[in-house]
Amino acid sequence: MDAGRHPNIEVFTNSELVKFSGNAGNFRAVVKKHPRYIDENLCTGCGVCTDSCPVAVPNEFEVGMGARKAIYSPFPQAVPNTYIIDRQNCLNNDFLVCSNCQDVCDRNAVNYDDTGEEIEIEIGSVVVATGFDVYDASAIPSYGYGRYENVMTNMEMERVLNSSGPTQGHFVRPSDKKSPKKIAFIQCVGSRGEGKEAGCQYCSRFCCMNAIKDCMLVKQHEPDIEELTVFFIDIRAAGKGFEEFYQRSLDIPELNYVRGRPSKIVEDSETKDIIVFVENGETGEINHVRVDMAVLSTGAMASESNKGLAEILGVELDENNFFNIDTKYGSPLHTVKEGIFVCGCAAGINDISDSVSQGSGAAAEAERFASKLRIEEKPREIKELDISGPLRIGVFLCHCGINIAGVIDIPSLQEEAEKIPDVVHVEKNVFMCSDEGQRLIQEKIVEYKLNRVVIAACTPRTHEPIFRENCELIGLNPYLLEMVNIRDQCSWVHASVPEMATLKAKDLIKMGVAKARYLQPLYKSSIPINQSVLVIGGGVAGMRAALDLDAQAFRVTLIEKEGRLGGRLNNLTKVYPANLNAVELARTMVERLQASRVEVMVSTEITSITGYIGNFDVATTNGNFKTGTIVMATGSDVYKPETEYGYDKYDNVITNQELENILNDSRGKIIINGKTPETVVFIQCIGSRDPEKNAYCSRYCCPTTIKQAIRLREASINVVVLHRDMRTVGAKAEEQYRHARSLGVKFIRYTPERLPEVTGKDKNADSVKILELALNRILEVPVDLVTLACGMVPNKESTGKLHDILKVSIGADGFFMESNAKLGPVETTSEGVFLAGCVSGPKDISDSIAQGSAAAAKAARFIARDTVELEPTTSTVNQALCRACGLCVDICDYHAPALVMTDSGYMAAEINQALCKGCGTCTSWCPTGAITSLHFTDDQINAMMDVLLAGKE
Amino acid sequence: MSFQHKDNAMPQKNNREKGVLVIGGGITGIQAALDLASSRIKVYLVEKSPSLGGRMAQLDKTFPTMDCSI
Repeated sequence: MDAGRHPNIEVFTNSELVKFSGNAGNFRAVVKKHPRYIDENLCTGCGVCTDSCPVAVPNEFEVGMGARKAIYSPFPQAVPNTYIIDRQNCLNNDFLVCSNCQDVCDRNAVNYDDTGEEIEIEIGSVVVATGFDVYDASAIPSYGYGRYENVMTNMEMERVLNSSGPTQGHFVRPSDKKSPKKIAFIQCVGSRGEGKEAGCQYCSRFCCMNAIKDCMLVKQHEPDIEELTVFFIDIRAAGKGFEEFYQRSLDIPELNYVRGRPSKIVEDSETKDIIVFVENGETGEINHVRVDMAVLSTGAMASESNKGLAEILGVELDENNFFNIDTKYGSPLHTVKEGIFVCGCAAGINDISDSVSQGSGAAAEAERFASKLRIEEKPREIKELDISGPLRIGVFLCHCGINIAGVIDIPSLQEEAEKIPDVVHVEKNVFMCSDEGQRLIQEKIVEYKLNRVVIAACTPRTHEPIFRENCELIGLNPYLLEMVNIRDQCSWVHASVPEMATLKAKDLIKMGVAKARYLQPLYKSSIPINQSVLVIGGGVAGMRAALDLDAQAFRVTLIEKEGRLGGRLNNLTKVYPANLNAVELARTMVERLQASRVEVMVSTEITSITGYIGNFDVATTNGNFKTGTIVMATGSDVYKPETEYGYDKYDNVITNQELENILNDSRGKIIINGKTPETVVFIQCIGSRDPEKNAYCSRYCCPTTIKQAIRLREASINVVVLHRDMRTVGAKAEEQYRHARSLGVKFIRYTPERLPEVTGKDKNADSVKILELALNRILEVPVDLVTLACGMVPNKESTGKLHDILKVSIGADGFFMESNAKLGPVETTSEGVFLAGCVSGPKDISDSIAQGSAAAAKAARFIARDTVELEPTTSTVNQALCRACGLCVDICDYHAPALVMTDSGYMAAEINQALCKGCGTCTSWCPTGAITSLHFTDDQINAMMDVLLAGKE
Repeated sequence: MSFQHKDNAMPQKNNREKGVLVIGGGITGIQAALDLASSRIKVYLVEKSPSLGGRMAQLDKTFPTMDCSI
């Protein structure tokens, strides 16, 4: 929600693009701001108007389940928080003269005659991120959505489970408001459709994970749930951490996954129970499953707005109304028109993490046409408030909807907080993080001349930066703020004992106030930085990052340990889904690099990196240099089978990479072991989805098998694919899967309990046995070739080495960990160090390229300036107390302390503020107490302990 | 698709800086806008609905970490 406050972003809501002309680098656009009927500059979002409005209409934010007024704010944390009048439902029109809202508005912000305005802007490039529309489940009459009360969609379920949703988080079924004991989830509603009625043909990608998540949440909300059943075709848990999440869900005893697409749903008209008719895909039985309610996992459609927008922009849409991409770059971000980029769900459905990567990636691409437009930033001129005089502490209590207020007795907290000495004001609000809450804090700081602020709300991990900035904007030093986490630490963990949770919250607030008394203003310092980038790894992700940054005129060095660039591309024939020639793609990228200013160093390895954001010293086998930021794009390895399926015994059991090499060499004819094979069997999930080896799904192997199967089938070879779930989740992958089936490729499912068996004589495999579940019979397929679809594994050597050098964390799966799986997919916890491609987990070419661009955008955020700000919450040494024992130097993971000669001529420790993370390890180890962690001083901690222990033995 | 200035539909020039247009104020568009803006580029973020946030603001928790969506 930071976008609304960024000084370089002008937000036009309730607006659309109406005119567009020009060429890349020099476009002109006209944005039409539709009338809000409320002046954005005057409205304070107080909400008095809403209370006065006599109209109630269904609330679209609550997917129609709640009600809203004709004058309203879409949801409590809405940005901007300016209200809006829905003129279609407003009673001030030609026939009626209600003017309640205008009458009650003190600020005269209501204007019924508002006509909106048109604004012309000049732009260098365009990023299209139009998102998706939800499939209308009532288009499938056999599922009864809209007719049966207890059939709801996944979007409705999402709101019902939300604590600020229409039922305030009470999980009940619509017909009788009783909590359901048996729930069915029906997957692929409107997705993967066959025939006209069944919706879109593609896979909507996020619904499998969404259903799994909802099952976990239901189990959490209702521990005594009796049955959760998910009816599915394939469980597509293909994303970082997704398969592991799915595996965890299997531990819920009440949760059953049933393979099968229900043919119809009927309602028991008496009890309003729901009966699901389904053929079990594994047993072949027809089942009638009675449940209390059914949730339809509705898929996603292209945004309705795409049509008009594409016409205005002069670009084309595909048959599903998604934006067409120009496949020649191998990137999912380019439209056919130069300077116009797409991301998220504008060109096909993506989950949040891939959408975020693509958003950043599109930003990097857009910057290539805007790098000359960088604006000079003026420092904010804010007058610092006078904080001298006695302590005046303000305490702000957040309800977090009912997240906190549903468990904790807020009025009693308020009463208790008001009694604490030095507390001059206590305020409460439904959402302190909303614009309204933030403004309230600012107003009270000024009104009560507060010089310390305590906010009791959610976690500082996500919200402290927001509250700190809010204080800063009004002139209060941001480090005079203390956050108390009464949600995670009180209302969430002690939800079953509200009195105790309230008691704990009171204690935590007292401790927060005690610490606040000792808070001192701290100031950020800034250091000059080297405006350059080091990209480690010359595969697609690394090359893309280097090219994007070079186009923005940054200094880039690209290091590759092999003798040539290209990485995995060099081993591929065609890249799915557009059948792009891999060799051609690699060559184009290498040629561009050669024509650019990027310094390319092949056959080069990193030997050490020291320093910190903006100032890294890099040593390589090919010379030393300085860099400001680092992109790690060292890729991954392919799993090497050992004895699986006779790989060690039979010559004709090969890996998918070995098949790729054969396809690469055979121009036209496919010759294997001297002849064209009659039948090829693929076996999926080798080295993936196996808790003994690698628990994760490698994601690329299903679409790759489809690609290879189509190639073989086109040469009239029989192809059988043995799989656990076909996870064709990338762009157009489902369409390719359908195409393969139409060509006659056979797909047979196996389970990890009954693996296929490969048998043969001497060095030749001649048959594969597989239990066909629906027939309950073992089929024997004579084969000429068995291909093992091998997953990806982390490159232990390079990740291990980079981990030692750069301290970037490695996850349980052996891949580098991103700073946030959803919102920071290419960032790490080490400032100035970014990830791109398979180094953070298995990805295909297109996703790797998008991440290369995304990492470029993240690096540009730092090196677009010549300085970087440093957090002041670090450790500092009182050198007079230091006896230079060097303990701090030894224990620091970040190499921040060093022993130096002081001006007075003795040795003492000194801490490099740029390297220090403020973790406090050295502070606690220092035997003389010479080290202090700023913002966590002994005084502050002691004061907290004192109030906690006061009166307790 | 083009339009002329003489057709009078073009509004008055204003003093806005040249920048990048981002269409869509959901999580993806916001991400693109923040990355551009933080790299010192002016961003015009256009959203058809009355507020930013898109679909994600409607979600409860997100998989697989179960973090709050807002």
